[in-house]
Amino acid sequence: MVRTFIRLTLSACLLVVAQLSVTAQTRMPQLKFTDRTLANGMRVLTVPDSSSPTVAIQVWYHVGSKDDPPNRSGFAHLFEHIMFKSTRNMKSEMMDRLTEDVGGFNNAFTNDDVTVYFEVVPSNYLETLIWAEADRLSGLNVDDANFKSERDVVKEEYRQGVLAPPYGRFEYLLQQKSFLEHPYKRPTIGSIEDLDAASLQDVQEFHSTYYRPDNATLIVVGDFDPKQLDAWIDKYLGPIAKPSKPLPRVQTKEPPRKSEIRLTEHGSNDLPAVGMTYLTPRQADPDSDALRVADAILSAGESSRLYNALVYNQQLAAEINSSAETREDASLFVLTAVLSEGKKAEDAEKSLLAEIKKLQDAPVSAAELEKAKNQLITNQLRQLETSNGKALALGEAAVLLGDPSRVNTDLSRLQAVTAADIQRVMKKYFTDANRLVLYYMPEASQKKEGQ
Amino acid sequence: MTRKLFFSAALCVLCVVFVNAQTPQATPPPPAAPRSGKFPTPVEQTLPNGLRVIVIERRESPLISAQLLIKNGGEVDPPELAGLADMTANLLTKGTQSRDATKIAQEIESLGGSLDSGARWDASYATVSVMSSKIQQAMEILADVVRRPTFKSEEVERLRQQNLDNFTLALGDPGTIARLVAARVVFGDSPYGHPVGGTTESLTRITAADISKMHSRYYRPDNAILVIGGDIGSKDGLALATKVFGDWQKPTTPLPTISPAMETAAASKGGRVVVIDKPDAGQAAVYLARTGINRKDPDYFRGIVSNSVLSGYSGRLNQEIRIKRGLSYGAGSVLDTRRDVGPFLASAQTKNESGAIVADLLLGEIGRLSSAPPADLELTPRKAVLIGNFSRNLETAGGLVGQVGSLALYGMGLDEINRYINNVQGISTADIQKFAGTRLDAKTANIIIVGNAKAFLPELQKKYPNVEVIPVSELDLNTALLRKKKEAAD
Repeated sequence: MVRTFIRLTLSACLLVVAQLSVTAQTRMPQLKFTDRTLANGMRVLTVPDSSSPTVAIQVWYHVGSKDDPPNRSGFAHLFEHIMFKSTRNMKSEMMDRLTEDVGGFNNAFTNDDVTVYFEVVPSNYLETLIWAEADRLSGLNVDDANFKSERDVVKEEYRQGVLAPPYGRFEYLLQQKSFLEHPYKRPTIGSIEDLDAASLQDVQEFHSTYYRPDNATLIVVGDFDPKQLDAWIDKYLGPIAKPSKPLPRVQTKEPPRKSEIRLTEHGSNDLPAVGMTYLTPRQADPDSDALRVADAILSAGESSRLYNALVYNQQLAAEINSSAETREDASLFVLTAVLSEGKKAEDAEKSLLAEIKKLQDAPVSAAELEKAKNQLITNQLRQLETSNGKALALGEAAVLLGDPSRVNTDLSRLQAVTAADIQRVMKKYFTDANRLVLYYMPEASQKKEGQ
Repeated sequence: MTRKLFFSAALCVLCVVFVNAQTPQATPPPPAAPRSGKFPTPVEQTLPNGLRVIVIERRESPLISAQLLIKNGGEVDPPELAGLADMTANLLTKGTQSRDATKIAQEIESLGGSLDSGARWDASYATVSVMSSKIQQAMEILADVVRRPTFKSEEVERLRQQNLDNFTLALGDPGTIARLVAARVVFGDSPYGHPVGGTTESLTRITAADISKMHSRYYRPDNAILVIGGDIGSKDGLALATKVFGDWQKPTTPLPTISPAMETAAASKGGRVVVIDKPDAGQAAVYLARTGINRKDPDYFRGIVSNSVLSGYSGRLNQEIRIKRGLSYGAGSVLDTRRDVGPFLASAQTKNESGAIVADLLLGEIGRLSSAPPADLELTPRKAVLIGNFSRNLETAGGLVGQVGSLALYGMGLDEINRYINNVQGISTADIQKFAGTRLDAKTANIIIVGNAKAFLPELQKKYPNVEVIPVSELDLNTALLRKKKEAAD
């Protein structure tokens, strides 16, 4: 096994995206991108960089699990898998022949808001990949056997991400219970029953509804000649017609929470866990920056407040985490703690609330603020080390924030966050009425004694 | 949700579902002429105190990663003190003569950097990663934690409790249990057999005195390697290394001799079939495990190319198990090469009901590697996968340092990074067949399945009447027997 993904499956893709939203200060590498829109509505963003003879290609479709059809939770993600099956001119898994077999790689992820396909290949294969992306946008061609076996793969992904790891269901429940109305209440991986109900007919409808050039953004970063690339794009992607029917968009708004929600669930875990979520605004809201810095202050590294309090000093928790999980329509600020042996969930909850209160009652020091910003900048630099990382950052700015230039300006927005801003957002959003608390307790019968 | 985190290709197209537009061309345009790239050349110098310093310049990003490697790790844990090397390394960052744990975390994180330490097989490490403008301060902290840790008892106790909790958490996950059991099955009671992080019993036994002794014995400049990579020139890197590590005194005592040959081959005759029954498991983790090769083995490149035929998204294991049959989210294998012979592991997680069939499929593919070795048409892409992964790994400061550090640790020439591609390209079908037949024989592999045994045991027993079934509550990772003694069970 090369990469770990078991614990993270539910939130990994969200976190990856969430961590991209800082950038650019004078010393930060600026992405000098070119931005154009084809006649069929497809947006194209390109950044030439010849430091290595490779190129990253991404296609962002503005469709995610919030757009799952009724009673088909998990469908957008299942569809993502199907996009690697046969297309008009490609056999199943031919994408792997064009990438993996030549020393590159491909992958894709689905989150609540977007589905992103990406490839990194030796740069002499760029034209081939532009052709291939055009081919799967313009026509899928999947048979029932392929559809069913891939659906089985996704069911195994569900088991591996939700059922097998001791806290998989905890993370799943935390999202599911945090939204009452908005389709974000359906976790991206979906449910076995809804996956079983999905059919080839659904595949066809979903493709024709959402996989269209005016719902796609192509990003190319790496070793290429801009004129030549433009010609290939015009040749392969330009002729794809834009459908005349309108694109459906989720209109449901998540209502504000009126009073605290408290839940207790049981699982196969040996140590109890406590999770809390607060409803926060959409990603493009100006308060997102202060919430990100607050998140770093709470949980980035061993000098963070939650680690210091719950893990180091009080020794209540084996693991803590917080996350400003931004989404397009409405976001969650999530706090979790997995308890140490013999500790009580009530005490961990109290301690988490005490740390929130401290941030509400007193401004953070200049040094602590600077530390959090330095951590966020360094993370961003690591993200921008590779072409694929640069393309992800650019895609997030363009598709989720609606402005690709934010890839170069978000860091100055973050730098502008003050201690007063943090105190203000902590008071505004971290109220009792806006809180959900989930206790995830071991099934008493499954407690392992004497381990 | 990622579609694939490791490892995919099926065929057959029957009914057309739909076609909604036109592409102008039905076959992919062929590739243009390839462009060549080159890797940076490491520069090295051994300081008078014996510390080997290696600098690799790569200026693309304003980041630097620096790693101090001690040439021993979990393999030198005394048998009853499993986890000692890891605890020792972890405690480096928990207090020095001039900084307590909180101050270390505060200082490094104020720089925006990270500082990690730990032990693995064959090495202990402390690694910093920072923006290049902050490297001076970061290196000063790195040297302080490696050279002057205090191992205060309160920190020992805190870490002990965290490790105990982590061990409990690990035992909730079928995949983790299977890996730990596989190590015991392959290596028995020899040094690579125990959990590198320790067990409940061994963690409870470790004292601050054991930790101090481990540190003074192994943490010495003539048993260490410092690798600095990224946005820094070799002259500056060497000067910085001299400044913070130059006055680290080499002890007058001789270097500890590396433990004698571990006789791993003798420990593992193979053919053991072990089921860990975890009735609440949401999935079964299926592992095939056997001995592999050591890092210096002349068959190294034959080995890694053979493994690449089996593993990776389009490797044979994932082809059969995921792509053809939809039985798993991912199947793959690892040839883990170490100073002494390491393990070869092939694995997949699947629904409990499919545990036995997945074990069969894994075994079948290992056997087929020698009975039906890959012809060029299959082999060439699998080599490309290795080369591509290797090259991309060298695109980041952290990847460069890890790769070069590993070569240095095992006494390989650092120029191997610039010979790697040719070495891989030179492997033939006959090489794979020979390697698979002589070094990866499926008949001597062990099978380990962790899951809800009720769902797969009857089918497994038909084929393997000798299967050992151990309830997870009776699992004892302290011994190759794997089972708690009866009286200790209650």
